[in-house]
Parts: sequence; structure tokens; C-alpha cells
Amino acid sequence: MEEFLRMEHITKRFGDLYANRDINLTVRKGEVHTLLGENGAGKSTLMNVLIGLYQPTEGQIYLNGQPVKIDNPAKAVQLGIGMVHQHFMLVEAMTVFENIILGDKNAKGVFIQKDARRKEILELAEKYGLEVQLDKLITEISVGEQQRVEILKALYRGAELLVLDEPTAALTDIEVEGLFAIIEKLTSEGKSIIFISHKMREVLRVSDRITILRAGETVCTLDRGETSGQELANLMIGRELSPSHYEKRTVTDDPVVALQNVDYHKASKHAGLNGITLTIGKGEIVGVAGVDGNGQSQLAQLITGVIAPDGGKVDLKDSKVAKFMPQSFIEEGVSHIPEDRNKMGLIGDMSVKDNIVLKSTGEPRFSRAKGWLLKKKAIRDYALQMQQKYDIRCASIEQEARNLSGGNQQKIILARELEARPDILIAVHPTRGLDIGATRYVHDTMIEAREAGCGVLLISADFDEILEMSDRIVVMFEGRILGEYDGKNPPIEEISLAMAGK
Amino acid sequence: MERTKARGGIRGTKLLNVAVPVVSVLLAFVLGCLIMVILGKNPFEALQYLWVGAFGSLANLGITLNKATPLIFTGLCACFAYRCGVFNLGGEGQFLMGSIVCCVIATKVPFTGLPAILLCLVAGAVAGGLWALIPGLLKIFRGQNEMIISIMLNYVATLFMGVIYTAWMRDGSVPQTVAVPKETQLTRLFGMRFTAAFIIAVVVGLLIYYFLFYTSKGFQLRAVGYNMTAAQFNGFAVKRYILMSFLISGIIAGLGGSAELLGTQYRLINNFGNGYGFDGVSMALIGQLHPLATVVVAIFFAALRTGSTTMQAATGVPTSVSDIIQALVIVFAVAGLAMVKLPQFQAAIQKRTTKKEG
Amino acid sequence: MDWTFVSNLILASVRMATPLIFLALAELYSQRAGLVHIGLEGLASIGSLVGFLVCLITGDPFLGVLAGAVVGIAVNMIYAFATIHLCAEQIVYGMAINIFAPALAAFIYRVYFGAGSELVQVKLMSTVAIPGLKDIPFIGPLLFDQTPMVYLAYALVIFTAIYFNKTKSGLNYKAVGEHPKAAATLGIPVIGIKYLASVICGALAGIGGAYLTTCYSTTYVDGNVAGRGFIALAAVIFGRWSAGGVVLACLFFGFCDALQIRLQVGSSGIPYQFFQMIPYVATVVVLALIGAKKAGPKAVGKPYRKEER
Repeated sequence: MEEFLRMEHITKRFGDLYANRDINLTVRKGEVHTLLGENGAGKSTLMNVLIGLYQPTEGQIYLNGQPVKIDNPAKAVQLGIGMVHQHFMLVEAMTVFENIILGDKNAKGVFIQKDARRKEILELAEKYGLEVQLDKLITEISVGEQQRVEILKALYRGAELLVLDEPTAALTDIEVEGLFAIIEKLTSEGKSIIFISHKMREVLRVSDRITILRAGETVCTLDRGETSGQELANLMIGRELSPSHYEKRTVTDDPVVALQNVDYHKASKHAGLNGITLTIGKGEIVGVAGVDGNGQSQLAQLITGVIAPDGGKVDLKDSKVAKFMPQSFIEEGVSHIPEDRNKMGLIGDMSVKDNIVLKSTGEPRFSRAKGWLLKKKAIRDYALQMQQKYDIRCASIEQEARNLSGGNQQKIILARELEARPDILIAVHPTRGLDIGATRYVHDTMIEAREAGCGVLLISADFDEILEMSDRIVVMFEGRILGEYDGKNPPIEEISLAMAGK
Repeated sequence: MERTKARGGIRGTKLLNVAVPVVSVLLAFVLGCLIMVILGKNPFEALQYLWVGAFGSLANLGITLNKATPLIFTGLCACFAYRCGVFNLGGEGQFLMGSIVCCVIATKVPFTGLPAILLCLVAGAVAGGLWALIPGLLKIFRGQNEMIISIMLNYVATLFMGVIYTAWMRDGSVPQTVAVPKETQLTRLFGMRFTAAFIIAVVVGLLIYYFLFYTSKGFQLRAVGYNMTAAQFNGFAVKRYILMSFLISGIIAGLGGSAELLGTQYRLINNFGNGYGFDGVSMALIGQLHPLATVVVAIFFAALRTGSTTMQAATGVPTSVSDIIQALVIVFAVAGLAMVKLPQFQAAIQKRTTKKEG
Repeated sequence: MDWTFVSNLILASVRMATPLIFLALAELYSQRAGLVHIGLEGLASIGSLVGFLVCLITGDPFLGVLAGAVVGIAVNMIYAFATIHLCAEQIVYGMAINIFAPALAAFIYRVYFGAGSELVQVKLMSTVAIPGLKDIPFIGPLLFDQTPMVYLAYALVIFTAIYFNKTKSGLNYKAVGEHPKAAATLGIPVIGIKYLASVICGALAGIGGAYLTTCYSTTYVDGNVAGRGFIALAAVIFGRWSAGGVVLACLFFGFCDALQIRLQVGSSGIPYQFFQMIPYVATVVVLALIGAKKAGPKAVGKPYRKEER
């Protein structure tokens, strides 16, 4: 097969940090080439270099053997490189049609020639089996369809190479199958695909070749035929992957949280709850599996008092909740590791120290006279102690929290939430975006909380994390709970099916 | 090594917070001097008179402090609200409502002296607070933009004051109210022009400083101001804080309005309080929402204003040059503060401090 | 209520709405590119003064309007640079413009006329009737016997509506205010469009200010913009960010303004200031009634950084 793209010795530095270091990558015509690597391995940076969003510090890109300089996204489009970002680059307030023709330089004239453009788009859609509804707003269509719009958008601009960044992360199994069919069609027409993922099963299924990145550097490139999932995983992580190391429990004690037939914006499939009945036992980790956006966020916000249910009953430690306010839930011993640490968990403009004591400045240990005089020294000493205990790496506890890495930010939240000795912990995507070490740390800490008798609700889109941690697993789909499984020997196939709504 | 490096960075940032306004002031003065040169005046001479006019004698210092007083109040009003993340641009309206109520009470109650003064100040403060509650309530219950509402209410308050001094409480043929009784006026201190109002203003500044940085409630209010969502998730009653910040910032402005009436103007009259609201916003922004810095900036601006009168009389440089200088300070300071927060700039600072320490 | 009252009212509404339309369109163009601008009041005040001076010197109101546009652009470039390149908070910087520009206007006025000047007046732009249309009964004399600036305002509204809804360029422009990163990946020059927006916004705000001294009032006084910059902001919210909606909102606020003047003339006993409050109170009431259904461009107020991690 002919070579289409060659990236040679690509290095990208941000300040003192190397996001990419001497990376080499070759993609042939008509091939699916997977970039495999953990979060922070440098995949996204490399692709942003390819599509002209970043300029490489060093290195050269060749297309069809010719050296090219891609200094802006328009240039990349012009050269036939299209990217479908993990977070779609779609304008929600516009229609599918408008999104596809956006920024189109080829079409002549001042006005939008609706009929001519529509015809072109529909022909293209037909050719590659991309089913889309042109006149719907982006907000009105499913995630799978949005992805098809993105692919169509790239093809409409004449893409010969498509970069798909974590394309399956937000899809159901059926949608994933559809995507694979499209990929097959594209490669059979001679288009090249760069497929970014860390899910072994998919990678082995769809790729022709696989390049593994670790810590910003190329590890190696392998043909699909000559490797295995285990080998890939080891190469990706850089050491042997051990099986689950937490002992699973069966809990029969009284539940600390009990939801009965709880509804919230029932009609909304992606942001509602529909007849949820769920318990969390003392000293138990209940894992909620499911594709993102099936009501998990709402479930977490409900059990932390951020939102109030439209119907049903919520009991915390045997007493019915009357007031849905975060304050009263916190007083009942509920701790929360929210899904978006920057937006919901931390005050980024305040210091590490202030974030650690955020909830407790009114307590006698940190202030006199009912909060009217802060004990600055006590706060400082405590924050230093927490910095040690939770291994928060920062220049000083006076540093602003927003300047810390994701892992260290999460540790601040852990320190704050777990030191409150909660009876109930709601953890949402607690390890999202963290490296292996930080992930392990978060997991160990959650297990410790469980050992101390805390009831934990773990919500995660990372299925492996759910399997690893949960004593009991429930599956959420379109605002409902579709099944409940023992965490000891979970029926993986069955759970996967439930996640897809079956 | 890594620790010292970044700590240097933090110290660098703190230094910058002071450096930026200072550099802005210098730049504004350079441009101001340039304007004077263009006008054919000697800038050094003019600056000399500016200084003399503002601080040259105890009398002038008194005038400066007296001019600073209302600016401190409106500056603190803006500062307090912004600290809670709400843009109360209605300082002027709240200031006026305070002075209107104060004027009515001072001229109508049967008693004078300290009891009247206290009653007037409290009533004025309450009036300002209530006036500020309107945008606060509309923000919370109708999700409305507090900036536009509070500005609209400034115009309403100004016009309402017009009703008072041209119609309802007009003093004969002149469009103004009668003066408050002599005994109810605030006395001047140390034989200088400034009154107890200045002392009250500084005390309010200190109180706010204490509240924001030394109490749990103040801490939480700042947290709400930085990140409302996170504050809500962490169990703070966000709406209550927002309402409270409107109320208190209005109280500060209203207190300022009544203090200005009792201490300086004595009566409602055309143009009373004009521009103090936006001036206050300037002070707060240049002072980077630090209450004590706001007080200092207000005194500085007041000095420019008093000094410029002397400057005009002595050299013929128009007083509006000093207005331009003030306006340039805010243009430079706000841009400068944004600039030093840019990642590129931060990285450069980081590098320099490392070099120095390494 | 007789016919002259009503016709005068309508005539005045159209006239009073015109500066608001310029200002509201200025805001619309700015916000569509993701720049919320609360400094229009300031831009209009400097535009108003410069328009007045040029009109006074040259005797030509059209040159006055042109000068207003130019100075509006010039001052707005400060805002553009600070918010686009320095990523200054847009609200805060808009306030800075509101403080800076009127001070500049006042300064120029003082320097030009000296301290104790008497009232200087300029000749206002004369009305131009559109033949044919003017003779339509009732509305003809009201709508088609106006200054060219009124026609310009309505032409701009129509242009804006077509531009944002029917043209490719308008679609790209809107994408910058909705999702700049997506726009950038499609090769749309985000920074360029933001600057373009600032040029348009500055020009329109300057014209809106100049209208006040070349078509509405024969003289300049400090504070003559009288909150119109902020009312225009409300009109954009009220008009749901569409050109048509904005013009209706402006007509409504213009009507309130016209009404207060008419009522002032007609009544005695009630202090006139109560009538003057009408436009401001109406703005508050309207905003309170429509509630917070946010429909504006999504990325408004957010700084756009190119290489962001």
C-alpha cells in the first residue's frame, strides 16, 4: 500500500513540558492506523499538530512524500486532513446542514445555495452510508448522528485522511457497529483513518496497524495480526497489567441511601431519571455502569442535594429527605466527588489551602466566635498536613488550585471530601483524565473509605473501573436502571448489552 | 528546586498585582504630560501645582480627603458586590437613594444633632440597600442581567432626586432643597475640610477587609464570587450570598450618600453625586477588588481632582486633563491586569524568576 | 386623543428608535462574534461629540456622522485589543470604555470651547422625502419623510437580517460567537472576525452617538447619550439576538421615549421627571418579564485562546 502521511521526529513542548518527543508515524492509503495510549500519552497533542492547531517545536510532516507545513487548520483541511474531535466541534445552535457547509471556501457566491449544497451532501452521505437529517438542529439529534455529521463534514471538505479521536467513547454498542461499518466503507474507497482509542477490543477489531504512545514518545508500531490485547496493554502502560486486586463484598446491612421510584424530568432520555429504585449499603461500593449521558449526572446531583426529584422518595440513613439542598446533604454525611472538578469541585482562583478547608471554615477547629474570626494558623497547619497525607504535589499550599495538574486537583477534593469521614460518598468519574498512579491512589482511597463503613456510589463511564471497584453493579440507560449484578463475578456480556439498552 | 521555583512565581504574581496599577498610573501621567505639551503648557510645572493642590497644605489635604470620601463609599460598594461575583453598577442610584432619604429625614424630623445624624445615616444606608435589592431580586428570581437593571435604576434615582429638589421639596425659586439643619451636619475635623464621613468610610473599608479575609462567611462569599457552581456543590447558599452582597453593597453606597449629604453638600441639587457610581467601579477595578487598595485608589483619584483645580488656576491646564489621566489609568490597569494573567506572560515570569534564583 | 397627537407620537417614536437601532445593531454584531460589549454608552458619547464638532466645523452633518463612525472604530480598537489579544474580561473592559470615552469627549469639548463657553448649536440634518412612498396616507409622511439616517438604520437592519441568515459569510461569522474552536478547525479566521466585529460595532455605535448631535439635538452636552447604550443592550436581549427582533425592541423603547416627551408637554402638576423615567422603568420591566431564557451566542464573554491546553 502507498504511504499517505508521514510524521517525522515530531516534538511539541509546552514550556518545560514535552507533550510529544521525537514521534514518528506513517499512515498508508486505505488503512486504519490506531494510535494507542493512555490519557496524557500525547495522542491529542500529536493530532493537534497534524491538523494545524499546534505548531510542532521540531519535526516535519510529509503528505504523499512531499514535505508540508500545516500552520493553521484551514491548511490541514485544504491538504485533505479531517478530524472528528472527541468533543464534537459542532455549533449546537445551527442545523446539521449549516454545520456541514460552515467555513466552506469552495462554494462560490455570497449567498448560501441551499439546493445545490444539499444535493452534494446527500450524494456524499449516500455513498458512505452516513445517515443524517439535514434540517435538524444539532441539539435535536443523537450522539451517534452527531458523529456522522462530523464525518460527513470532513468528507465534504475533501478529506483523504480522517482522524477519529476516541470515537466510541460516547456510543452504544449498536452505534459502534454502525461506525465500524462506515470505517470499512471509507477505507475501501481509499481513505485513510487514524483511530485513537484505548479500548483493546475495538482496536484489535478495527485496525490494520497500531502505533503505541507512552509518555509523549513512540513505543513501537505493530501489525494487528502479530499482537494481542495483553501485549498492547503492557506496551501501553509500560508494565504488566494485574487483574483486579480488591476483595469484593456482599453487604446485607441496612442501606445508608435508599431511592424509591425517583423521577426527575422523566421525559428526557439523556438528562432525566425515570423510576429509579436503588440502595447503597453501609461499607459497600455500588457501581453505576452506562454510557455517558443516560442520567448518571442527575442521579449524582440528586443524591447530593443539588437537584430535587419530581417524584418518589429518597431516604438518607433511614430518614426521608425533605429539603434538597447540598447543605443539608453535607450535614447528613454525604461527600461528593463531582464529575467536573474544575467547574463543580474546586474554586480554581483560590489556593490549595482554601480548597482543602472549603467546607469547614465555620467549624470551631478553624475559626473562633462562630466563624467570625478565622484561625489562619490552624488552617495552614491542617492544609500542610493534608498535603502530606494525600500527597498533593504543589509548589506551595498558597498556589492557586487551577494551576495544578488534574491528579493533584482530584487529591485536593479527596482530602476535603474524605476527611469529613462521610457515611455516603458519591464519586462521579473520579479518575477521569488521571494517570495510572493517580488513578490507583484514588481507588485505594475509595476502598479505604469503604472499609471505614462508608457507602459509596461510583459512577463511571470507564467500564473497567466499574468492574474493578464495585461490590454491586447497576446499569443505567436512558434514565432507568436496567439491571443489577453481583460485583464478584459480573456477567460482562450481559452488562454490556444492558448498557446498550437490551 | 521545583518548589522554590514556583514559589518565586507566586511572589512574582503578587508583586505584579501592585506593579500593574503603579505602571498604569505612570503611563497615564506620561500621556497626560504629552497632552499638556500639545496644549503648549509646561507639564512639570503643572504636575507641581497638581501636587501642591492636592497635598500642599493641611487645608488642601483636607479637601482631598473630603473629595475622596464619597469615592471610597462607591468604590467599596462595587468592590463588595464584585467579590461575590455580581456586577453592581448601580452604586450611583443607591448612593442617591441614600442621600434622598437622608435629606428628607434630616429636614423633617423635629430633632437635630447626633440622634438625627445617626438616624439619617442608618435610614440612608437602609434606603441604599433596599434600592440595591431590586437588581438582586431580579437576578435571582428572574435570572436577569444585574448590570443593565442596576444602571437603569441609576437613571430612575437621578430623576427621582430631580423630583425632590425641583418639585416636592424645592426651596423657593432655586431648584434645590433646603439645607439640613446646622446641628445635623457632620462637623469638620482638625479644622480641615474633611469630616467624620471620611473616618466612617475608612472604617467601612477596614470592616469589609476584615469580613472578606478573616471570617468564614467572607471566605464563603469570595468562593461564591469565584465559582458559583462549585460553591453551590459545596453547600453554600449561593442565592442568599448574592442577595446579601447586593444588600450590603447598596448599604455601603447609601451610607455614602447620606454621609456626603450631611458632610459636604447639605442639600440635594442638580448633579449631586453625578458619576460617583462609575468612579467607584474604577476604584474597585484598579484596586483589584481589595477593599483597602480601593480606599487608597480613591484617595489618589480625589487628589487628582483637587489638585487639578489648583493646576488650572496656576497654569491654565484644564482640569479635564486630570479626568483623562484617571480614565487612562483604568484603561491601562484593566488591560495590564489581563495581560499578566496570560499564560505566555506567566511562563515568561516563571522563567525569569527561576533564572534569578537558580 | 387626536390624530396629530398620535401621528406626532409615531413620528417621534421612529426618530427616538433610530439611535437605539444603531447601538443595538452595534451590540448585535459584537455579540455575534462572541464579544459582549457594555461600553457602547462610552463609544456613543465620543461619537456624539466628534460628530457634533465636525458638523460644526464643516457645516456638513454627513461628515459629522462619518467622523463619529471613525472615532467609534478608533476607540473600540482599544476594547478589541484588550479583550481579543489580552483576554481581558469583556464586561470589565466595557466598563473601562464607559469611563474612558466620555472623559475623552468631555476633555475635547473643554479644550475646544474653553471653560465658559456659551451654547453652540449646529444645523441638523434635513429630512429627505422619498417620492411616491411619501404620499401613502397616514404612514407615508411618518415613515418616508425622515432624515437619511433613519433610512440608513432600516437598510442596515434588512442587510443584517439577510447577512446572518442567508449568506455564507454570515454563517461563518455566527459560528465565531457560538463555538470559536469549531470555527477555527474549519479554517474560519476567528481573530479576524472578532476584529471585524469590533470595527462594525465601533462604527455603528459612533454613528448612533453622532445621530444624537446631527439629527436629534442641535447641541452637545455631557451625558447626552443618557443610557441609550445600555438600553440597546437590553434591546438585543429583548429582541432575542435577531435583527428583526432587535428593531422591534428598539421601536418599543423609542416609543417609550417619545411617549414621555409627549406626556410631559401635555400634563401639568406631575413632575416631569416621572415621565422621563418611563424608558428606564420600561427597560427594567421588560427584562423582568421576559425572564432568563438565554438565547444568545454561546461563547459570548469567553476569551478565545489559540494554543490552549
